[in-house]
Amino acid sequence: MIAKILLLPILIPILSGIVVFFIPKQLRRVKEALALLATFAVLILAMISFKQVSSYSFNWLGRGMDLSLRLYNFSSFMLLANAGFAFLIILYSVTFMKGKDLLNQFYAYFLLTIGFANGAFLADNLLLLLFFWEGLLGLLFGMIAIGNKGAFKSATKAFIIIGITDLCLMLGIVLTGQLAGTLTISKINLPLNNLANLAFILMMTGAIAKTGAMPFHTWIPDAALDAPLPFMSLVPAAMDKLLGIYLLTRIALDLFQFTPLSGLSTLLMVIGSLTIILAVMMALIQKDYKRLLSYHAVSQAGYMILGIGTALPVGIIGGVFHMINNALYKSCLFLTGGAVEKQAGTANLEKLGGLGRKMPLTFICFSITALAISGVWPFNGFFSKELVYDAALERGLIFYILAVLGSFFTAASFLKLGHAAFLGKLNPANEKTKEVHFTMLIPMIVIASLCIIFGVFNWIPINHLIQPILGTARLEGHNYSGFPTNIVLVMITFIVLILAVVNHLLGVRLKGSALHAADHIRYAPGISQIYALAERRFFDPYEWGLKLVNLISKISWALDRGIDWIYNNLSVRLSYGLSYQLRRAHTGNYSVYLSWSLLGLAAVLVLLVIL
Amino acid sequence: MCLALILIPFFSIIILNLPPREVNKRIAFGLVLILTLGQMFLVFFPGCNFWKMNSGVFGSMLKIDLLVDNLTLIMLFCIGLIVLVTLFTSRQFIGPIEKQRNFINLLLVVLIGMNGTVLARDIFSLYVFLEITAVASFILISFDKELLGLEGAFKYLLLSAIATILMLSSIALLLILTGSTGFSEVQAVLKTLNPNNPLLILAVGLFLAALFIKSGLIPFHGWLPDAYSSAPASVSVLLAGIVTKVAGVYALIRIMVSVLGFSPASQAVLLLIGAVSIVLGALLSLTQSDFKRMLAYSSISQVGYIILGLGSGTALGIVGAVFHIFNHCVFKSLLFINSAAIEKQTGIRDMDKLSGLAQKMPVTGLSSLLASLSAAGIPPLAGFWSKLIIIIALWSAGYYTYAVIGILAGILTLAYFLSLQRRVFFGKLTREFINVKEASFSLVFPMVLLSVIIIGVGVFTPVLLDKFILGLGNILGG
Repeated sequence: MIAKILLLPILIPILSGIVVFFIPKQLRRVKEALALLATFAVLILAMISFKQVSSYSFNWLGRGMDLSLRLYNFSSFMLLANAGFAFLIILYSVTFMKGKDLLNQFYAYFLLTIGFANGAFLADNLLLLLFFWEGLLGLLFGMIAIGNKGAFKSATKAFIIIGITDLCLMLGIVLTGQLAGTLTISKINLPLNNLANLAFILMMTGAIAKTGAMPFHTWIPDAALDAPLPFMSLVPAAMDKLLGIYLLTRIALDLFQFTPLSGLSTLLMVIGSLTIILAVMMALIQKDYKRLLSYHAVSQAGYMILGIGTALPVGIIGGVFHMINNALYKSCLFLTGGAVEKQAGTANLEKLGGLGRKMPLTFICFSITALAISGVWPFNGFFSKELVYDAALERGLIFYILAVLGSFFTAASFLKLGHAAFLGKLNPANEKTKEVHFTMLIPMIVIASLCIIFGVFNWIPINHLIQPILGTARLEGHNYSGFPTNIVLVMITFIVLILAVVNHLLGVRLKGSALHAADHIRYAPGISQIYALAERRFFDPYEWGLKLVNLISKISWALDRGIDWIYNNLSVRLSYGLSYQLRRAHTGNYSVYLSWSLLGLAAVLVLLVIL
Repeated sequence: MCLALILIPFFSIIILNLPPREVNKRIAFGLVLILTLGQMFLVFFPGCNFWKMNSGVFGSMLKIDLLVDNLTLIMLFCIGLIVLVTLFTSRQFIGPIEKQRNFINLLLVVLIGMNGTVLARDIFSLYVFLEITAVASFILISFDKELLGLEGAFKYLLLSAIATILMLSSIALLLILTGSTGFSEVQAVLKTLNPNNPLLILAVGLFLAALFIKSGLIPFHGWLPDAYSSAPASVSVLLAGIVTKVAGVYALIRIMVSVLGFSPASQAVLLLIGAVSIVLGALLSLTQSDFKRMLAYSSISQVGYIILGLGSGTALGIVGAVFHIFNHCVFKSLLFINSAAIEKQTGIRDMDKLSGLAQKMPVTGLSSLLASLSAAGIPPLAGFWSKLIIIIALWSAGYYTYAVIGILAGILTLAYFLSLQRRVFFGKLTREFINVKEASFSLVFPMVLLSVIIIGVGVFTPVLLDKFILGLGNILGG
């Protein structure tokens, strides 16, 4: 029975998404009700099938391309998380999206995205996975494109970046399938040698790009400004992390025999730690609520990749735990950003301030999640970061230092954000700002509560959700729940957090404004030049790609013109010139023609004799 | 029995000219119609008794040996078709009743000559029928007794005379060498001879040159543009469509295949002349402004393809060559009918002065487009397949350069035909042509008939290929 149910989490959102698309504008309520109902149904299904094990398969395209789905602890966990976020964010959207254009497309893309993501989680066949993965790419484009006026450009950017990395994933899948001789994920377990290394890197590129790792992250800050906010809250904040880390974990744990000895492990750790530090540095200087959050969405991905990259059980548990934690607080942070934008009319920090008194519940939710992302005890972010630190330190001091430094800047930037938005002087324009509607509050409150629960009672997620993924053999009897064992690391974390607060107070004292609290770092010698380059998008590979494409297109254009000239001018002139010369020879004088014929005869005879 | 194809026209001429000479024009018209249709009809039954050899009373009396094989049959079909089409077009162009009877008399003489040419299996008979065809053609070209027509006829006469001399000398040499004139007898003796025998080389060279003149290949082509363009409209159709194809190209194929046989030297000559004709003919077409003159140069270029196919020396190449003869008959006579229709309706032949006629003459416009595209070798029209077969044959025989020349020259062909279409049929309809009407039935009917053949043969070539077309190749073995 459960086997057939596996199709429902995929089909229900997809079908209702298609139906929603055709519901006329006037029936907005029907549309919202259907979307809510569909996501709720998926949530119930996810709850029923949670921790169940089953699989479903039928011959789809033949030649090993089966439609096979597999439900086990990891995928059921992902399914539940995805369904939970989907339901809460739809609930939020009902109020948030009121009065916005293109609602049909918004709800349709939203539901389709959920269906395709569920498909990707459940797929037990690499090609099926790729099918859903590429479907998400198209929906990503659509979701961003229906945003602001400038959204189309951002959507194109996202589409190109993710499209290229998805291409890597596709190549990786083909290579993996070739090496393994099967496309069924649960049957593959390749040792990492020459070609398998390449396959690993290709598939890994697809996975970490989805997560938002550097240097594939540059579309996220752009999309943050242009795309509809519930999309940001669902996709880059939560779902992309779930998908990317899910796939990365599957690659590392199941598809390949990934060990700390492998050079690929170091590669992943380098990418992870660089992502942490560079993205958070960018977050520090942002002056827009949503854009600041989007850089954190990138930076936090670094912790997960770093954790999984260590290839140690503690690191993988930390990484996966951090994934779910980040999904929680980051989506909630985006939701608070949406609430502020909706009520105050802007997300520009220069125009905000003192909103804490007007929107107390939103402020509380923001505070909880900001503390969680900064890694403050006893919120969930603290515990997962400690696990990642533990693993990073074991693999190399430099990774640990970068990770802790990232924590420092994270705390600093959230102090700045909270201070600038919710505390301080109220902008006179926002005198009449009220708390948001309860449908928007409920999702924020639920997620913020989960941040506390996953922190205080961290054995619930770790014991029930995460440790089963590795299996008892890999854990070797360890249990990573509860308070961190390494007290020295905890002390360092506390010191770093205190330093961040001191730094913030110092910054406020120096510049006299919360918004500019990080300016002493921003304009520090040596760093300011780097920032200047970054502001000019010097570090954006997309910009470099655009320049390269422009260059190629110019060269091709010149070549094209040249070839065109040969066809259109040279050959035509040559033909006509020859033609005129030949015509002039045809005088109409029969003696001339006669002599040609006789010369021809002579030539024929000569040729016959010679040859 | 198939001697009837020569004898019935012959007696028809006598009957038509018996007193009382005021025979109704319709009887003459109907007679030729029945003759041509019958000829085309019989071709589809190659197994019937009609085609059986016999040395009946007339056969033995006239000492004419006749030959029937696939090549003969397809040529007889072409002859029937084009003579039929010419008959229809002539109703528009040949004036009083007296002239019409004369025209039909001459048409029957040409029919006798061409049927005899393709049926002959004796070098001397071949020569005699070629001369019958040629003499009738001279008169037809100058039928209107206009200065240009007479000039064209004179040039044709002059160069044909040279060809006659060359051919007779060659026949004499072959008779010396082999003691016979029958195809099979000559061929049998030639196989035993040393290929470097100077007399043999001279005989081959003279015969080839004579037929090159008759085919109008470059540089033996001097007569052709003048003759084609100065002849009356319906005579141009006959001349370009079939007469030179039978008198020149068919004879060349027959002589090469059934008498002289291929040698590396003769193949090289054929390929070279073919390629030169293709390229120079196409280049010359490019800048012509006279509609018919352009078609004449285009004919040279297309005949070049046929010779190129023949020059490959393989069965496939000959299949392509014969298939291209058929296609060329169809599209080139269609184009000449188009030009006739335009000349009739507007009185103008200079393409630069015409414009936008497709709006006023839709059948003419569409059929000429079809014919042009078929000539340029655009799939799925008939011309594409024959060119394709020729090029495949060249490639597989190892003549890569000639295959590439054949393909590239296709671009030139397309260029001049599209320029024709643009100048004459597309573009803006000027005020001058606002009252132009479509041509009358006797021109529209042949246009539609030939267009249907172009499309039909093109579309069904893949079906016909194994059954009919490739069967042509067996003339080489037999």
